[in-house]
Amino acid sequence: MISYIIKRSLLSIPLLVIISFLTFGLNHLSPLDPAEVILHAQGVPTITDELIAETKAALGMDRPFLIRYLHWLVSCLQLDFGNSYVTGKTVWSLLAPAFLNTLKLTLVSAAAIIALSIGLGVISARREGKMTDKSIRGVSFFLTSMPPYWLAALMVWYFSVQLDLLPTSGMDSYESYILPVIVITISYTGIYFRMIRSSMLSNMNEDYVLYGRASGLPEQKITLHILRNSLQVAISVFCMAIPIILGSTVVVENIFAWPGLGTLSVKSILSRDFPIIQAYVLVLAIAFVLFNTVSDIMNAAMNPKLRKGH
Amino acid sequence: MTRKIAVLLSALIVSIVLLAGCSGGNAAKTGAADAGKELVYATAKDINDMNPHLYPGSLPAQGMVYESLVENTEEGIKPLLAESWDVSEDGKVYTFHLRKDVKFHDGEPFNAEAVKKNIEAVQSNAGKHAWIKLSTKIVSVNVLDEHTFELVLSEPYYPALLELSMTRPYVFISPKDFVNGETKDGVSGHNGTGPYKLMEQKTDQYATFEANENYWGGAPKLNKITAKVLPAGETTFLALQKGEVNFIFTDDRGSDSIDVDAMNQLMDSGDFQLIRSKAMNTKMIVANSSKSDSPAHETAVREAIWYSIDRETISKQIFSGTETAANTLFSPNVNYANVELKQRGFDLDTAKQLLEKAGWKLGAGSEVRTKDGKPLAMKLYYDVSSSSQKTEAEFIQSTLKMVGVQLELFGEESSSIANRRATGDYDLLFNQTWGLAYDPQSTISAFTSESAYYHTTSGISKADELYKKIDEVMITMDEEKRKSLYADILTIVHDEAVFIPLTNGSVTIVAPTDLQGISFKQTQFELPFEQMYFE
Repeated sequence: MISYIIKRSLLSIPLLVIISFLTFGLNHLSPLDPAEVILHAQGVPTITDELIAETKAALGMDRPFLIRYLHWLVSCLQLDFGNSYVTGKTVWSLLAPAFLNTLKLTLVSAAAIIALSIGLGVISARREGKMTDKSIRGVSFFLTSMPPYWLAALMVWYFSVQLDLLPTSGMDSYESYILPVIVITISYTGIYFRMIRSSMLSNMNEDYVLYGRASGLPEQKITLHILRNSLQVAISVFCMAIPIILGSTVVVENIFAWPGLGTLSVKSILSRDFPIIQAYVLVLAIAFVLFNTVSDIMNAAMNPKLRKGH
Repeated sequence: MTRKIAVLLSALIVSIVLLAGCSGGNAAKTGAADAGKELVYATAKDINDMNPHLYPGSLPAQGMVYESLVENTEEGIKPLLAESWDVSEDGKVYTFHLRKDVKFHDGEPFNAEAVKKNIEAVQSNAGKHAWIKLSTKIVSVNVLDEHTFELVLSEPYYPALLELSMTRPYVFISPKDFVNGETKDGVSGHNGTGPYKLMEQKTDQYATFEANENYWGGAPKLNKITAKVLPAGETTFLALQKGEVNFIFTDDRGSDSIDVDAMNQLMDSGDFQLIRSKAMNTKMIVANSSKSDSPAHETAVREAIWYSIDRETISKQIFSGTETAANTLFSPNVNYANVELKQRGFDLDTAKQLLEKAGWKLGAGSEVRTKDGKPLAMKLYYDVSSSSQKTEAEFIQSTLKMVGVQLELFGEESSSIANRRATGDYDLLFNQTWGLAYDPQSTISAFTSESAYYHTTSGISKADELYKKIDEVMITMDEEKRKSLYADILTIVHDEAVFIPLTNGSVTIVAPTDLQGISFKQTQFELPFEQMYFE
């Protein structure tokens, strides 16, 4: 098992290198001169050729691409992502708090999503074809098909403006979490609960269920067994849910003025603040690779057959 | 089992709702309207770096904290930190007498020495300030006594006082906040002399400003102002309805954070009032006269485009009357711009005649005119993040089609559009004038600048004459001569139709009904918060 973990972890290193290279290359896909972008981003009203040359020299942009890439990679490994074009502050000092804010939102939402989708999935599977199952699926289909920004606006309008229960936006107190978490949870639970449900249903036809019933095991115990087997499939999906939510909070963060990665990324993209965009893409890519590796390892731990292939 | 889970689930949901119910009420009620008449305004972006000698910071926020030597008002230049000034006969030496009762927010005295340090800090970063012509003309700053200093210029420059009145860069920050005697690499604090002090800045969340009790002009009546970062317009609207935010105004790109319908809904509630400034700038289409292979190179084509734009409909339908139709590059309330110019209304027949006369013929069954086998087609670039520009572009495209002109539309980032303007890689693009306090001198001096409107103006037949007059108008000391020079300059660009005006934009404020003393400055970028008070 340990050798599998080591092998699997080592495999992700070349992937990360490729990702970092592509991320750095992003800068060069833009038709604009980065020095000019910096000056525009800083709001300098008139840009002269001397100013461009000065900026380039100051940032070492006159060096060859590969050397700049290696330099960037080495500094990134030391958590130095350079300075924001717009504010001149270090990218780390902007990215770290935003990342933490989004992570808080993501973890609370992920916990709610996992709890709700397991709960609803089990109920739905047990009551397959009955009214409960139909109404849960109907409601979830309705809710997941609503665009998050619309749902968010509707919730703010009702709970904050009409009922005056919650703040409309910001991140000032625990109450600030409630609406954004509900919106994120609603958008994802519908997808994940259906997965649990179908996995439960396919397990219900397995021989061990029949055997359990035949030997008179209580229904509750049988359900638990089915759930445990169904969860094996779900674990990798749940693992990936965290980076997915981490990267897709843009809409929710913008509407709730949540000072997280989503808001930061949109702002940086609009002002072409490349060092932040690069760091953002890199951090998310690492999160995806990391969680993917963890889910593979967890699956392997539960299912020895998967380990043999390596 | 299933019943248990169902019970658990419903308990969870009920508890969430209860939690929301019992704890939400008081904390959420930090609503500005109730909390001691504090002003909370929504801003789409963080107020950012408040260093007054650089450009990323929010202009309205910098306007509260820092002050300039003089102030630009409707009646002309008025004293601010300088009580009075004398200009030498040759126009090269300005002697300023400073107010004696001014202190920075950190208690440091505001004196001639502080002025010298600030202006020198700005000058040492001259490259960034090239847009403000004064920066290229300052030779030295000499302290004469504690409250007197002189500014020596290399040549006379009539807009010197105007440029000293702007929100940045010639404003003053306590020399104690300088880093290594400079400000170009950042400052260690934000102590200005203005009516408000910056108290707290939480990046991407909010910033608070408190009244400066020792302000030389008397402590302002609103004792707290908060800038709350709200990126989405829907959220701003809901936050206004709830009272978490009670003030909004047009941002420095000229766009309002909520739309006209939302504003009307707020007015109807009776809790808010809507105040609009007079016209502050002109939104326009800029034509590239220097690109010889483009139809935009021809005066007749540019004039035909001018005649083919229905500004009244744009004003009424696209802006719901919030912006008025513009007929000239500058509205007549801009200094020196009240000049008799030829009117060009919406007139498709005249447009067709102009094109016909210039040799652009419409072949049978064809929709696009041609000349020597070349179609009358041009590219129009608009700012992709401006919804009104896109709609305007589509509307203009449709009316130009009626006279046989084909427009291709391209939405791009504002920085990319600025890049096209600088390199001359465009036929037509959207732009706007700098605004009241800066006009006409800033927009007009941009006519000659490579990075601004050089490609727009250099292709016209009288280009040399135009540039000569622009050079002259900036240094002449004779008011009458200046008036006539400006009139000539405006007539040349008007006759050549290189700047095709669309609408005049203004600043919009939505404020609580009991807020009094709301007024505007001569710029679209800041507001006199210190004059506001609750009744």
